[in-house]
Amino acid sequence: MTASTPAAGIGASTRRRDGAALLTGRARYVDDYRPHGLHYAAVVRSTVAHGRIRSVDVSGAETAPGVVLVLTGEQAARHAGPIPYFISPATRGGREVDIRCLEPELVTYVGQPVAAVVARSRVEAQSAAAAVRVEYDSLPHVLDADTALLPDSPRVYPDWQDNVVFAKTYGAGDAEEALHGADVVVSGEFRIARSTTAPVEPRGYVASWDATDEALTVHGSCQNPHQLRYMLSASLGLAESAIRVVTAKIGGSFGLKMQGLPEETLVCLLSMLSRRPVKWIEDRRESLMSGAREQIHRIRVGAKADGTITGLVNRIVADAGAMTAQAGWAMCNMSASTFPSGYRVPDCRVELRLVATNKPPLSAARGFGKDAAHFVMERAVDLVARRLALDPGEVRRRNFIRAGEFPYRTATGLNIDSGDFAGLLDKAQAAIDYPAVRELQRRRREQGRPLGVGIAFELTPESSDSPGTFVSGFDTTTVRMSLTGRVTVLTGVTSPGGGNDTGIAQIVGAELGVPVEWIDVVQGDTDRCPTGFGNFSGRSMVVGGGSAALAARDVRATLRTVGARLLERDPEACEVVDGTVRSVSEPDCAVPVPEVAHAVLTRAFAAAAEVEPVLESTRAYKPGNIDHRPDELGRIQPYPTYSSCLHIAVVEVDAETGKVDVVDYAMAHDCGTMINPDLVEGQAWGAITMGIGSALTEQLVFDAGGRLVSDRFKSYLLPRAGDVPEFRLEHQVTPSPFTMHGNKGAGEAGVGGAQAAVANAVEDALAPVGACVRSLPLTPPVVLDLIEEATR
Amino acid sequence: MKTPSATRTTFDYRAPEDLDGLADALGTARGAVSVLGGGTMLVPDISHGTAQPDTVVDLARTGLSGLRRADGEVVVGAMTTYRDLLTTAPAPVPLLRRLAAGVTGGPQIRNRGTVGGSAAFANPSSDVPAALLALRARMRLLSPDGVREVPASDFYTGPFATVRRDDEALIEITLPDPGAASFGYVKFKLSVGSWPIVTATAVAESGGGLRVAVGGAGRVPVAVMLTEPADPADPEWLAHIRERVESELDSVGTWTDELAEGTYRRRIAGTIAARSVAALRGDDERR
Repeated sequence: MTASTPAAGIGASTRRRDGAALLTGRARYVDDYRPHGLHYAAVVRSTVAHGRIRSVDVSGAETAPGVVLVLTGEQAARHAGPIPYFISPATRGGREVDIRCLEPELVTYVGQPVAAVVARSRVEAQSAAAAVRVEYDSLPHVLDADTALLPDSPRVYPDWQDNVVFAKTYGAGDAEEALHGADVVVSGEFRIARSTTAPVEPRGYVASWDATDEALTVHGSCQNPHQLRYMLSASLGLAESAIRVVTAKIGGSFGLKMQGLPEETLVCLLSMLSRRPVKWIEDRRESLMSGAREQIHRIRVGAKADGTITGLVNRIVADAGAMTAQAGWAMCNMSASTFPSGYRVPDCRVELRLVATNKPPLSAARGFGKDAAHFVMERAVDLVARRLALDPGEVRRRNFIRAGEFPYRTATGLNIDSGDFAGLLDKAQAAIDYPAVRELQRRRREQGRPLGVGIAFELTPESSDSPGTFVSGFDTTTVRMSLTGRVTVLTGVTSPGGGNDTGIAQIVGAELGVPVEWIDVVQGDTDRCPTGFGNFSGRSMVVGGGSAALAARDVRATLRTVGARLLERDPEACEVVDGTVRSVSEPDCAVPVPEVAHAVLTRAFAAAAEVEPVLESTRAYKPGNIDHRPDELGRIQPYPTYSSCLHIAVVEVDAETGKVDVVDYAMAHDCGTMINPDLVEGQAWGAITMGIGSALTEQLVFDAGGRLVSDRFKSYLLPRAGDVPEFRLEHQVTPSPFTMHGNKGAGEAGVGGAQAAVANAVEDALAPVGACVRSLPLTPPVVLDLIEEATR
Repeated sequence: MKTPSATRTTFDYRAPEDLDGLADALGTARGAVSVLGGGTMLVPDISHGTAQPDTVVDLARTGLSGLRRADGEVVVGAMTTYRDLLTTAPAPVPLLRRLAAGVTGGPQIRNRGTVGGSAAFANPSSDVPAALLALRARMRLLSPDGVREVPASDFYTGPFATVRRDDEALIEITLPDPGAASFGYVKFKLSVGSWPIVTATAVAESGGGLRVAVGGAGRVPVAVMLTEPADPADPEWLAHIRERVESELDSVGTWTDELAEGTYRRRIAGTIAARSVAALRGDDERR
């Protein structure tokens, strides 16, 4: 940022409030909590992909050193009920099964928790867990979603008639007719392999049951403390008021730490039964089991000769793995409804089937399914451009929703609030110097060195609301000023590591007229913070920021009234600025805010006689543009804001090995008003890198028995610094008319666009041989196969 | 000595302070023995429970670290770390220095990882074994019965398998032609964090002749002798080196793991080998 950037206020790149603590190792993560008498849990996991538990022999574990409790699924079921779904498939016309903290009967994936051990040390717990003997009657298993759809496939849940969890068709118009009338129809089958989120810190919980008070305190690395409290209350049969959930500092989450996972209930139950504080920290092998995405899309797109896209038909098969109470299964909805992205395609039909297989469940993941839509839609746009020999940038320009058409209702019912998509393309092309890079490509081709340029647009519906679920489109904040002017902000949103606490402090500082240094932000504590919904869907700055602003304004109004009284001025003629209440016309006529606060709270019957003497307000903020009334096609509109961005990747392909190097990268990004541009950029860097990783190297690989073999970072290849170029980030600001500050979700955008840009660039690099990119990741063996297949 | 608390199982721990002590430890060790070098592989394997030795014999105090010259040869102590290779100046074995510079994993791995450990662990994906083949190394193995020497080309019997017996430890590696007139070294990885998929080392031997060793592609490293090409870009020569390398790989079998199939490694092995020859000649070196 430039030196002239202000240090505080909305739009300033204020330094992270926890930066020093993070950099010096003083931040407290869940594993840093060590209550007196702490014991450790280890989870015994299924070794078969599908089977019925015949017996669980715990005799070896119970007599192992240090062990205080061994729990089987059968025993757990006597004490804990099913875990409530974060989003229920059944209420949306799908199927669900009871999810238990320890499965007592039917295991459906390798790694499913079936028993647990509590011991004095982690080592003793793990040794004892290894001594638990579980026998299974194996059932045939299915690992692939297409196979799971065949009539004779094994059924993951034997009492289901097939393996379909959820099926729905989205869209409007007559897509087949549009394809029929098109000048060209392109088609393709695109496969997105299973990858994962891999935060630096895996999940973890410390549960402390107080048997005297019958109260449970849970420290967890989790995104949604109030939802977790509700879920624990339901599964454990405790009053919500008996449970306190505190989210520790979180070392990344990306959706993984949304609630509904078995270990949350399990660790609490183990504490209650053993009457000891119990800690469980997931290890990397366990963490890598959670899938982020795995889909197959079969798409047909029709276009006129000038590149205008007229219709789209897509059939999606999404692989759910086994069922989960976490929100991960629902990502496929967004994969479907994000079509046709930011393009004017009135005739669309997207058929979605979500299919159970005998792999570990999906967990929510940054992108939340939208990433798949972007990869496939942007591939399809490139196929149109290629078929018609048009520049891929020009085909996008021709089909973009125009800047003057917002709000714009898409065929799937999304009501896009605002944007300037062609403007993003201009900015990204300028950043990468598009003509120059095409010239470089021409020269490289003459030397026989494949270089490709890939363009991808990305539309990111954010801050979602889903009626009757924990996915809430609003949130709540309390702003409280003390006698000395110190401000405490208690907010229902949490920060998984992105730093929204800093952004919220900036908003409160600006609204309240006090320095950010006076402000403390408290997040993630169900006993202190108002009821809220935590972090997901790029919501925290939109609704956390909006509710914080409303509450801060209430407090400011009281300060102004009483400050004006102290100054003997009319409140209307006064303002709160820089920690003082002052006369607008006579800035020297001022009184410090702490003096005003003191007056409000100590002179309630004198200077503060005309106000309620309270410097505290709790407010909720509901953004506009959410509409759950189904339209004539049954479509609803669950998103207030739609961020957008445009990616251009430049890649070199080593034609002899298939290795792809990303050599240059530009992204023009529009999340409306930026509260803190550095934090926005930090999220963008991470999301692009995540997209490049899942486009090139990241893949969860299972053996034929359903066992995860890519279970460490030497076999699950995350990109490192040397694998990505420096990104050229550009910003465009089209404020949302539906949010308080004009901001839109920031933090999710980048994954799908990066996947698509890299994929399109690889295909562009290989255009001379005519290769067609149909899958992710584009590992060197895959790319070499593409080249050989095209040149054969 | 107390077993480190991060492990699930217990084992005897021996840390002899000289070679006599080492021989004694190897001779008297209980049960399955693991020899501990820098610990970059063995310690995580013990932590994860994938290695469950009854006895660990630690070479840390045996004084087996460092490089020394003897009769025109260089002897590399088994406990010589990658960092030692990088900081010993002038580098007695330029190839090993180059190899060490490409080891990823950060300072911890470079400070702990040892040439002897990598050589004896025989991971097909590691850099060291093929480089030792290229340099015609001789592996010195100590046991209670004394010392024997095995050429690197006979040392490797399979993935993670060597001729080393349970009562032997690799103590030194002798390099007869350490300076090797010139060399080219190419390592191909899927990404920065990936194990090497194929490595190739081309050495112009002092006595004439071009020796190319390929690692990662086969179950064991392979080496071929070639005549130096007039033009390393000549398609006929490229076809020749490819054929020679593939034929060697076919005789030992290709290596497959979760990162890459053997068929892929075989497909690119000839290319990487040819690139090592181009690198030796100072031509455009890629990846």
